[in-house]
Amino acid sequence: MCDFDALWSDALKIFPVLGGINAPDEPIDEAVYENVCRHISNLGSADALTAIIDLEVQSAIRNTIVPSFWKQLYAGVDPSELQGDALADQSVSDKNKLFAQFIEAINELHVGYRSLERIKPRLILLNEKANANSAKPVSSSTSSSSIKLMQQDGIKTCVRDAMLAQLPPTFSTIVGAFYWVHYRLFTKDTQLASTTIDSDVFDELPCTGCNFDLEQCCCQKLTEMVNKTNMKLFEMNLTDRLAGSALTALIKDKIKEHINDTCLGIFDRSHLKQLETWLNDVIIVWLTNIFKGWIEKDTHDSIKAPASLQSFKVKLTYFMYETFAQNVISQFFSIIIDYPDSTPAIDDLKICMEKIDMRAYLTETLRSSLEARILHPGVNTMDILTGYVAAIKAIRHLDNTGVILEMVTAPIKEYLRKRNDTVRRVVTGLTEEGPTDLSEELAKGESIKDGKDNGTDEFSNWENWEPDPFGIDPNVMRYNSSKIMRSADIISMVVDIYGSKELFMVEYRNLMADRLISQLDFNSEKEIRNLELLKIRFGESLLHSCEVMLKDVTDSKRINAHIHGDGNCNANDQLFDISSLIISAQFWPSFNKESLQLPEEIENEFKKYTKAYEAYKGNRTLNWRTVTGRVNIVIEVGNRTMEMTVPPTQAVIIYHFQNKNEWSLDELSTLTKVPATALRRRISFWQNHGLITETSPGIFTLIEKETEKSQFEEMSITEADEEDLESAMASASDQREEELQVFWSYIVGMLTNLDSMPIDRIHQMLRLFASHSGGVEFTQDELKHFLQRKVREHKLLFSGGVYQLAK
Amino acid sequence: MAQNISPEQSGGAGGSSKHTDDSLPVKDNHAVSKRLHKELMNLMMANEKGISAFPDGENIFKWVGTLEGPRNTVYANQTYRLSLDFPNSYPYAAPVVKFLTPCFHPNVDLQGAICLDILKDKWSALYDVRTILLSIQSLLGEPNNESPLNAQAAMMWHDQKEYKKYLDAFYEKHKDT
Repeated sequence: MCDFDALWSDALKIFPVLGGINAPDEPIDEAVYENVCRHISNLGSADALTAIIDLEVQSAIRNTIVPSFWKQLYAGVDPSELQGDALADQSVSDKNKLFAQFIEAINELHVGYRSLERIKPRLILLNEKANANSAKPVSSSTSSSSIKLMQQDGIKTCVRDAMLAQLPPTFSTIVGAFYWVHYRLFTKDTQLASTTIDSDVFDELPCTGCNFDLEQCCCQKLTEMVNKTNMKLFEMNLTDRLAGSALTALIKDKIKEHINDTCLGIFDRSHLKQLETWLNDVIIVWLTNIFKGWIEKDTHDSIKAPASLQSFKVKLTYFMYETFAQNVISQFFSIIIDYPDSTPAIDDLKICMEKIDMRAYLTETLRSSLEARILHPGVNTMDILTGYVAAIKAIRHLDNTGVILEMVTAPIKEYLRKRNDTVRRVVTGLTEEGPTDLSEELAKGESIKDGKDNGTDEFSNWENWEPDPFGIDPNVMRYNSSKIMRSADIISMVVDIYGSKELFMVEYRNLMADRLISQLDFNSEKEIRNLELLKIRFGESLLHSCEVMLKDVTDSKRINAHIHGDGNCNANDQLFDISSLIISAQFWPSFNKESLQLPEEIENEFKKYTKAYEAYKGNRTLNWRTVTGRVNIVIEVGNRTMEMTVPPTQAVIIYHFQNKNEWSLDELSTLTKVPATALRRRISFWQNHGLITETSPGIFTLIEKETEKSQFEEMSITEADEEDLESAMASASDQREEELQVFWSYIVGMLTNLDSMPIDRIHQMLRLFASHSGGVEFTQDELKHFLQRKVREHKLLFSGGVYQLAK
Repeated sequence: MAQNISPEQSGGAGGSSKHTDDSLPVKDNHAVSKRLHKELMNLMMANEKGISAFPDGENIFKWVGTLEGPRNTVYANQTYRLSLDFPNSYPYAAPVVKFLTPCFHPNVDLQGAICLDILKDKWSALYDVRTILLSIQSLLGEPNNESPLNAQAAMMWHDQKEYKKYLDAFYEKHKDT
């Protein structure tokens, strides 16, 4: 029989863990070892002992090693301070503290781990010996395999399990701090290179690596410590499992930081290459450093390590792309405005988008930023248009299928449609002097692509067909289905805001008419050039009337010259010169309906002119439009002489004052046939000039004395300018009203004969039968408003979904 | 065009002129519908009191007309619906015009057919929807009792008071059909 007490104490020597983790670990005599082995195998209790040791080891890990690790880690640190994102706010010294603590804690953990690890070979040895001596090897081997400790990496797994089970929430902060310091140490050299501080100043600054004074720099020491700790972590197989997430988070932070530092607001050069180099040179090398321990220690793992590093690298590269793309997208509005200087940034984004799907994010962000930046009442329509054009260019550069464009610009179009000066602005932009985006585009002179042409293109060019980009809401796709639209050029895109070129041409005609009438000495060459360019784009037929208008102007000049040269209009008996602009009313936009009765003497002159014209042109005559035009007048009042060019109405008003000094508004109104309100407005022009004053309400008197004249001198110029701006053409809304009147007679006609109709049928009928008169488009919405107005005016009845005439 | 005959000229040779109209080559639809569109526009713009017409649906060749009885006649304050069917050879052939609202009148039969010279032998391409409607309107007040389609009406016509009484009853009875 053996002495159990002696045996136990021997066993304790071999497996100190049996006596608690803190039992001294002493070298063992071979004799003692042999003795224990023999006894144990004799007793046949090897399995039992193994099981006991396994349990002890596990409990030691759970109850002693790991808790003490945490304790060590948090010594002197209030865990609540580390909550959340505190890492970012912590000062360098705090981080250094955490760093040191982490290293110490890991050291201790490692010691515990090593002492446990030492047990394993002994236990295996024991088991082997015991089994060799025992008669039943089979059962022992089966049972031992079920024991955790005996499995490969058993202790590592055990430690990790225990660690994760007791993981405090703020742990990653500490690990983060550790790697943060590590990263600092690592990038010290790169930072030094990039900082341009004077060496003198630099000497006084703490070392960028360890934040100690430069003389006491301990970077070297720290780096060694870090490397050792890293090695230890690897040995325990904890790097990836335990520190992985903190490490990844830290690297992501670093990437973001780096991108923000280097790329923010710089669009005129490409960043991707540079970023990739940075990732490879800095981050990956650093990571390799961390993973290096592995390669050196276990040669058989050397293949595995680079593999995990490789996957890490791929992950990080994607992350970098994503971060970069987000960065670019968030500034895409500025990129649009800077286009084409910002082309490199767009190219970068393009590469990113090939790798990662950012489409939805891009459209969302861009839409909202556009809405925030330009789609509000404070922005000029012209600026919105400029933005729109730039957006078209920039986004087309990014995605030439036009899907993103269509989605992003939809709100802009919708918004522009609501602004009533959009058409005018576009037309002005198209024809304005000096370079604007639109006039440049126009000068390129491509004609608007016809739908038909494109259709055949698509079929004959089927080899180059590209599928629609994925990840787009099919509803949206259907909504803007036509590929033709998406590939249209910028002018078409702008014109497309309203969906019809007719509207633009009408507006162009109005603007041109205004220009022709107000600037009698206009630049006809430029107008003709513009017209030719527009004709290429929009077709001859739409611009026919504009051509006639231009021809009218040149013809008028010729006729004027002829009539003046003729004997009919003798300079002797002529009171003043008349030069006329003879227009073919059919082709000009309708004029507003103002009227003006000329004084008799003046009218006679016009009659003479008309006679001369009739003589010259045979069976034609002239219909004078007395409201539009320019009158050169010289006014002599008292000792003042004024020479000015004014609109006819003003001239007529002052003309009447030459015979009579005082007029009542009504008298003047009946004489000139100008409505009193309009007349009052015109008289105010002369009031501003200090020539006429309203002595009592409705009575106007000529001022003969020179008083307060100078005061008004400057004002008069601006006033006259304002007068100039007033359009001679009927305003767009007036014209629309006229068109609506036409539609109204059709509606009355159809309702008289067909009794009652629902709105869509009315709309259909109008489209079929009424649109011939002028080709005006009329949306159902517009019609609805119009009909509702008529219902309110009691001209229509609406019941049961149908309209009928009120009896 | 040869068939562009004024009513006066074709007065004597009524029957033969009708024949000529039918034998005319059928003009292409486009020109005809263009003319009808134009007529419609003129009619809408003229906004004439008491007469009106509009295409009945998408087909511009079928119109519905409305006319009010002329003032100071027994037909005053009555409204009649008509149908106008334009042939492909319009305006070289007359449209077929019928009363939709039953009309008690010497020259209108119970099926609504109208006996009016300008719709038959005296048709001319110079006429249009407006003139047709005006002619029918005036026919109401001045019937041609020599060639009645409705003998009863023609016989009653001389007694305007009696006629009016009968007509009003007739109109009230049928106006909604």
